[in-house]
Amino acid sequence: MDNQYLLGIFVVMGVATFMTRLLPFVALTQSQSHPLLVRVGRVLPPMIMVVLVCFGLSSLQIESLDRLGLSVIALTAVMTLQLGIGNPLVSILVGTGLYTFGIQWLGIS
Amino acid sequence: MSQRVPSELSEALQDSAPVMLGYVPLGMAFGLLFQSLGYHWLFAPLAGVVIYAGSAQFMAVGLLASGISYAEAFIATLLLNSRHIFYGLSVLDRYPKRGISRWYLIFGLTDETYSLVTSKAPRIASRHTYYLYLTALNQSYWVLGCAFGAGLQSFVEFDSRGFEFALVALFLVLLIEQARMMNDRWLLIVALCAVFVAHLLVPQQFLLVAISLCLITLLVRPKRDSLDG
Repeated sequence: MDNQYLLGIFVVMGVATFMTRLLPFVALTQSQSHPLLVRVGRVLPPMIMVVLVCFGLSSLQIESLDRLGLSVIALTAVMTLQLGIGNPLVSILVGTGLYTFGIQWLGIS
Repeated sequence: MSQRVPSELSEALQDSAPVMLGYVPLGMAFGLLFQSLGYHWLFAPLAGVVIYAGSAQFMAVGLLASGISYAEAFIATLLLNSRHIFYGLSVLDRYPKRGISRWYLIFGLTDETYSLVTSKAPRIASRHTYYLYLTALNQSYWVLGCAFGAGLQSFVEFDSRGFEFALVALFLVLLIEQARMMNDRWLLIVALCAVFVAHLLVPQQFLLVAISLCLITLLVRPKRDSLDG
């Protein structure tokens, strides 16, 4: 195998990834306190979180009714615990535990 | 001073635990897939160190198998990760203005790190150190997963099916916490509509398109609403 080619691809992809993360920091250094940017900085994260939840759900590849039911139960558990107790680790561990239990022990596919 | 560091580290450890649940199995999946290319297993964790982007690394396996050129790999990665441009917009004032840690924090701004960084102001005094621990811990989980998947899979029996739910749960929990601090929650409905429209138009790239639509909404309706103070 050509290790040099592999390392070259790693570096190129690493630089490209870094550039996408760096761009706003370089391009907007002078206008960081602009009201619009301040507002975007505050409001965009929760909106992006909605998008990321949907993206995460799509990557679960729910293809059966059983899996859909399991996902709804696990998501409901996460929401209920978070709204009730408010400890993120507990909510995430219980939700993931339920989901994993359904897949590994109950054989839901 | 001597007590500050451990408290920041322990807070970062606690906050990043859900990311570990998601990153380790996902990194292992990458490591396993990477092994199909026939390279030495150490290159898998190296990819996690140098590239550190989940979807780009999975894409890299396909690209390497097809013998893609450097230029093509560069452009494909730029397009795939272009959503990260929007992440920087929200953390401009949170990250340090100079110093080497600034560059590492920007390098490590993944979906999950971004979510944690924007979700709360740490209780401790020095946010930057906390962010640094958080970013380094998240990357170490990822690199560890890549190494496990590629090198130790034959020694460690580990059934990780179902663990992928941890990242969805993490995003949901952070959404709830961020929504609590919002006055104008109608924007969350807007985001949901953006997902729906983007998924309808470009299902393969809906993440980027949905985020772009959210940003466009904010730019078009700049001052209709107000956020918490």
